[in-house]
Amino acid sequence: MRLVVDQLPNLGREQELLDAIGLATIDDLFSDIPESVRRTEPLDLPGPQSEEEIWADAQRLLSKNVPLTSRPSFIGAGLYQNHVPTMVPMLATRGEFLTAYTPYQPEVSQGMLQAMWEFQTMVSELVALPVANVSMYDASTAAAEAITCAVRVHSRKAARPDVIYIAEWTPENRRSVIQNYIQGAGIELRFLGGSDGLIDLGAAEEAAGCAAVYVEQPNPFGIIDPGLAELKAILGEDTALIVGVNPSSLGVIAPPGDWGADIVVGEGQCFGIGPTGGGPIYGLFACRDPYLRQMPGRIVGLTRDESGRRAFTLTLSTREQHIRRQKATSNICSNETLIALMGAMHMALLGPEGLERLSVRNVAACARTKDAVLAIDGIELLHPDAAHYNEFTVVLSGRAADALAFLDVGGVTGGLALRDIMGEGADESWLLITATDQTTESDITALADGLAAWCAEVNG
Amino acid sequence: MSDLFEFKGAAGAGYAQPSPLLDEESARACIPEGMRRKALPRWPKASEPELVRHYTWLSTRNFGIDTGFYPLGSCTMKHNPRLNERIVQLPGMNDIHPLAPESHLQGLMAIYFEMQEMLAHCSGMDQVTLQPVAGAQGEFTAIRCIQEYHRSLGESERTEVIVPDSAHGTNPASATMCGCSVVEIPSGADGRLDLDALRAVVGENTCAMMVTNPSTLGVFEPDIAEASAIVHAAGGQMYYDGANFNAILGKTDPGLMGFDAVHYNLHKTFSQPHGGGGPGSGPIGVKEHLAPYLPKPVVKQEAAPSGSGIDGWTYTWEDPQHSIGKVQQWHGNAAAVVRAWAFYRRYGRDLEKMSEHAVLNANYLRHRILNPSPEQAEQIPAMPVDGAPAEVVKHEFTLSLSPVKEATGVTGKDVAKRLLDHGYMAPTLYFPQIVPECLMIEPTETESKEVLDDFAAAFLTVLGEDPDIVKSAPHTTPVGRVDEVWAARNLVLRHHSD
Repeated sequence: MRLVVDQLPNLGREQELLDAIGLATIDDLFSDIPESVRRTEPLDLPGPQSEEEIWADAQRLLSKNVPLTSRPSFIGAGLYQNHVPTMVPMLATRGEFLTAYTPYQPEVSQGMLQAMWEFQTMVSELVALPVANVSMYDASTAAAEAITCAVRVHSRKAARPDVIYIAEWTPENRRSVIQNYIQGAGIELRFLGGSDGLIDLGAAEEAAGCAAVYVEQPNPFGIIDPGLAELKAILGEDTALIVGVNPSSLGVIAPPGDWGADIVVGEGQCFGIGPTGGGPIYGLFACRDPYLRQMPGRIVGLTRDESGRRAFTLTLSTREQHIRRQKATSNICSNETLIALMGAMHMALLGPEGLERLSVRNVAACARTKDAVLAIDGIELLHPDAAHYNEFTVVLSGRAADALAFLDVGGVTGGLALRDIMGEGADESWLLITATDQTTESDITALADGLAAWCAEVNG
Repeated sequence: MSDLFEFKGAAGAGYAQPSPLLDEESARACIPEGMRRKALPRWPKASEPELVRHYTWLSTRNFGIDTGFYPLGSCTMKHNPRLNERIVQLPGMNDIHPLAPESHLQGLMAIYFEMQEMLAHCSGMDQVTLQPVAGAQGEFTAIRCIQEYHRSLGESERTEVIVPDSAHGTNPASATMCGCSVVEIPSGADGRLDLDALRAVVGENTCAMMVTNPSTLGVFEPDIAEASAIVHAAGGQMYYDGANFNAILGKTDPGLMGFDAVHYNLHKTFSQPHGGGGPGSGPIGVKEHLAPYLPKPVVKQEAAPSGSGIDGWTYTWEDPQHSIGKVQQWHGNAAAVVRAWAFYRRYGRDLEKMSEHAVLNANYLRHRILNPSPEQAEQIPAMPVDGAPAEVVKHEFTLSLSPVKEATGVTGKDVAKRLLDHGYMAPTLYFPQIVPECLMIEPTETESKEVLDDFAAAFLTVLGEDPDIVKSAPHTTPVGRVDEVWAARNLVLRHHSD
């Protein structure tokens, strides 16, 4: 018996519906498609499968992947191994959330609207800025659209409104997204230099008067740069300071809103979802009030219904594409609401002290890993005096890619060759090692043993 | 009422975590003093039992496809198979890192390759990228590729993007973000593409034309091939907005219509759940001449050394020769692609049947609504009319409620809100803007005849109800009609603890 698709309630009853309409055949439904553009052959695809077959094949294929959780893994650079409390996916995938559209009908969407308003509040508190939106696609598009937002805000007052700066070590994948997003606005991209992994504040004076500066804290080397606290004073009021954060760090690191950031963006993934092969994840976007009306994305406001009851609704929609079309502040329509909901649940479950604990666990794992790795002869820190969060960079006595291949054979995912992330600016011997709250002492031992064995082999 | 910020647990009432690998003092000392956080965020202090109840309560105040019929035009709110959610929870999906070595991602890459091939085949394109994470980002990506293509030919003055006035708002917004100017052309009196209007605006500055087909009116553009020929003759490229792809699988494809690039909404056609606004996934497919410009990387398949690989194949990432770079920093919404893959596998070549049923349901529902029984008709002061004249529609249709408004003062919005009281999500309201008092209705293939009958009956009932009741609707929802003006005037965008 041929397998039939089990998703079509009217399968086998087509004629009943056709009769009602007054049509003879299914083909009559497509009579408006001119012959010249009709397909002549059926789709050349395999037949339908049952749930059981798909489940079996999904398990077979996905088991060919190597999850971070299956072995000691020290890979990060923007996405981090984490543990999402069980409650989060269980509740977020309730059908009322999972299968809803954008809450354009607020009367029957109060659940998601309130959850997103609460999300906005928690993000706002996290980064110490007054306003947050309902999410961007990821950290890279959040950064890119923060820049175009800042350029619109500062287009009149900034001395050089068409120029923006980003840190020279911004990873290629984020840099490329930024370039794609700003090229259409005719913005010139320049680079802010540094030394020892810290932004050169003297050189930063050059950026004063441009529309925006984008830096990250911690930066792509894993360094916490204390000098960034001085940056806003150097740049002045007419230049937006945009800071990219790792949100899990903000239980111990000062929120950028407290040291002058005008817009904060970041990758929300650590709250709510695993690294998921890079998506869906969600970008955070928060800003000061002057940026609000140029902000991309959706935002939820408190209001009331006709009888005065508390209610929530999408607001400031006149910035958005479905109303403003080519004059919109962004083209974003679908965002990452469901993942932001997962993030909100995770944040709420942690609470302030849980966040602090999570940050401390990350700092501690990073410090322990650093100590263990530096105890190996032939491995040195690239930036010996720097403070690190989550990750740090070491210089090996050979190619990082070779060390990673060696470790991989031994069942350890040892990190990332910085050359692969930053390009030519990074030496081939530089290895970025990431430890998270999920890193254990035995993981660290496995990494250190593996690196020691490789060093011994390389150094004869 | 449940309020997240009213939970008053003690410090650490929430989620308990293992001890750090270092004592807290030593760990804290790792942070430079000037960069230490002074005051923790004022997040709720709530326990799991409280939060489970809070979010469950919130869910009861939200309407999804699982709650009831969701005839939201242009959004393709079809059933989301639950298997797909189970699959993406597997560690081989949830806990994989996009920068891991290729050898760690072979399963994902096999699925990517299968999806690239399937989408290209169904759309008549040559190469697909799965990187764009939303339909709008797909549009942006494709226009970027087209821009670079023109620049490679020395035609950087091609900066005009033509869109019909019935286009989705994302089309002009995406074109603008690329740095193009938007040339809007009016639709003909019948709501179709007006070829004379098109001829009048194409020229040496034409970058591309963006078209949705079936159009946002739910009707197939009969002159699409000629429109493509006009744009191509002027040196422009044709871009297919795949929002309405659900209507045509196996029947026609954008390649046959003459398009050079297309985006697919995996969250519409391939059932990635809409999640209250996202995530989506907006892959694009292109013809051969645009393939070198696609974002990097795409997946390639090679024969594996014997005894290795997946079914004899191994997979690699490859950067297209003149790639525009990246539009999302990883590989797109990978788990959305995997859900869409699981959905596709359920249909295989019967994706054609999916489109047949989507179109059958739309035509059936349209017929039901526009042809009330004599008893029903007697109660209805004025009937809506077709948004565009058509013998048959595709997967959706539009109604103009102008006659209703004229007869009773009841607007499209009033009818939409009153349908909420009857247990249905409202249709898409006031879009496309070229249809006055527009309601756009898309039932999808996953609704039964009985559901369509009941909805049509409810719709006709609303048209016959006391106008005062309809105008003040909704009456039975968790809150009454929401004051959007108050929200915009007061801008209370977060909770304040003080």
